[in-house]
Amino acid sequence: MALPLPLGLTHSEVAFLAEMELVTVVPRQRLESIDLLSGKTPPLRPPHRTDLPLWLALLLKKQRRANIVPPPWMHPASLADIVHRETKVHPQAFSEPMPTASRARQSEPGYAGRIGGSGDNNSGEVILSPPFQSNCTSAAPAGYLPYHWLEVAEALVTHASDDLGGNTSEIRGLLRDLVEVRAAKMRDSAETLGAEGQGGVVSLRGVGAMELAENRGFVLGVVDGVRKIGGAVETARREREEEMDLGGGEGGRGGYGGDGDSDDDMGI
Amino acid sequence: MDIDDILREVDPTFHAVPQEKRNLQELTRAWIAERSAPELLPWPADGLFERVNDSIKRQIEKVEEMTGDMDPKTNFALIVIQTELERFKYLVRSYLRARISKIDRHTLHYLSTDALRSRLSEMELAYATRHQALLHNHYLSSFLSSFPSALQNLNDSAGINMVETPDLESAVFIRLLKDTLVEGRGVDSDGAMDGRESDIVILRWADAKSLVENGSAELV
Amino acid sequence: MSYYDIDAILTDAEKIPCTFQLDIPDLGYLDNTPNQPLKAGTKVSLPLWLAEMLVIANTGGPDNKTFVTFDLPRALGNDVVQALKADPRAVPLRDQSAHFYGLATHMMDLSEEQELGSVLRKTFVTRAAEISLHARKVGGVSAKGKGKEEGSNLGIGGAGEEFLRGLDEWERKLFRKAHDGAKSGKEWMESIKKN
Repeated sequence: MALPLPLGLTHSEVAFLAEMELVTVVPRQRLESIDLLSGKTPPLRPPHRTDLPLWLALLLKKQRRANIVPPPWMHPASLADIVHRETKVHPQAFSEPMPTASRARQSEPGYAGRIGGSGDNNSGEVILSPPFQSNCTSAAPAGYLPYHWLEVAEALVTHASDDLGGNTSEIRGLLRDLVEVRAAKMRDSAETLGAEGQGGVVSLRGVGAMELAENRGFVLGVVDGVRKIGGAVETARREREEEMDLGGGEGGRGGYGGDGDSDDDMGI
Repeated sequence: MDIDDILREVDPTFHAVPQEKRNLQELTRAWIAERSAPELLPWPADGLFERVNDSIKRQIEKVEEMTGDMDPKTNFALIVIQTELERFKYLVRSYLRARISKIDRHTLHYLSTDALRSRLSEMELAYATRHQALLHNHYLSSFLSSFPSALQNLNDSAGINMVETPDLESAVFIRLLKDTLVEGRGVDSDGAMDGRESDIVILRWADAKSLVENGSAELV
Repeated sequence: MSYYDIDAILTDAEKIPCTFQLDIPDLGYLDNTPNQPLKAGTKVSLPLWLAEMLVIANTGGPDNKTFVTFDLPRALGNDVVQALKADPRAVPLRDQSAHFYGLATHMMDLSEEQELGSVLRKTFVTRAAEISLHARKVGGVSAKGKGKEEGSNLGIGGAGEEFLRGLDEWERKLFRKAHDGAKSGKEWMESIKKN
């Protein structure tokens, strides 16, 4: 049967995805390795820490077979720091995303290092992206929000609050603050997207998965609406530019038609 | 395991990420992409889907074996295995159903040229062809046959084309997987930006497509 | 445009003020003068799909005339444009046309209307921000009201309700998307606590 959902992941699909994030657990019972489709789980030997996908960690937690070590970015000090940056330092932008990806890949054998970021795509190596970047283990850095920050944080606050060192209510409060300040940014982005002179590329660096799920329909609706309303203008512009390109040889007004004439909006 | 798997296994560049994790990453990526792209994407050519399906089958057999001996110790392992199995089945089903919904919506379009047909798997192609034939017969017997023969076509392209197509200009979100130049067309100016890894960018699907196809970006 | 798109079909039925450029025999009934020719210079409102064909088609005469010329419909007239310039949020677009933007984009395809284009873009974006605000509020009061009509169970007072009633079809779709997003976000938050 065909899927009746609109394009783009829904909240529950995003939550499903976030459950694949690795988190660190401290086992309370021994458990032998299990042969899963995603690979063998490490054998659990209390009190040795191990990284497991969130869905499995929550299963163990509910059965009191393990405790979950919250990722460092969930510590109240880290969250407060991010709130500060999101409100005071960069009130317009989302805070920087977690730098894990390249860090992790650099340590891998066969990885040539990131020089210029291109030209290394023939190797066939798969590039890992969230939720497969170990952004929520105890080894992840503090001070950054991973792509699935809200889903993972909410899951831990709800199901592993006794592992949060008595900070649960403080963390809850900080999470609410973050949700609110970032939702306002998301709303403002709609106006940026529709602004006159806006080129065809807009970055929302640092945005989270749930924030996208919540606003996707609206934001893309605004972008598509602006495109349709501007359809005639855009067609006319392209025709003009094509003529200019064709006549550019003789006409050649100084400075125009060199490299990258695309990003300066020369007031039409 | 066939020869491709073995070769993949001994390829030094693959040491870092084990095959199972790669499969899951690729399946997840394909699922998200299919759930987000305005058009049907090509069926994965590298046998990803067949690989995942085989391992799911093997896992189901294992579960059946394990349910035979009901030692409470293996019982928990069984719960874990079954939970994960359900998660994989959910991914696969959702992926297939997302594709079917696109095929259903624009069946005639995806059957119209060889290039478009080649995006469908063998089963999907059989499904689309038969489903369209059933529909056509149904329309014929219920009302089309009463129309003048010139008005019986469902694929007239004079005037507004009767064969609807997905809107490739609609906007999408992508994540850059490496630093790369991102170019996109806008209404009153076209833009370019030196994208950095992890950037999440909004642009038209037609402009994003090449980045996604060459692995510089993924749909989110 | 898609063949089976109901909104596009309805937009095509909107009436456009047209002026005939030549006498046409037996068409007088369009102007309430049956059995007479329709005189050149007569103003008649024609549905968009017909007006479009007559505007584009050439009479084939030596002077290269088209059958009709057209003016912008009242929905896109100067009064409306001036009001939109003053405050886009204060104009109930739906009273002008339920397919306001659809009609406008169609008209702009037929003739270059630079100013109209930029006013409408600003209108759409400004009103979108307002729509998003209302949609979020509605999501907050749980959409399980008893009201039957879209506008009646919103739980927001006076001005807001007035604004939402004035949304055209594009904007209604946008409202629904924003509303569904906010609502499913709330539902997800509540669901975490349950399992």
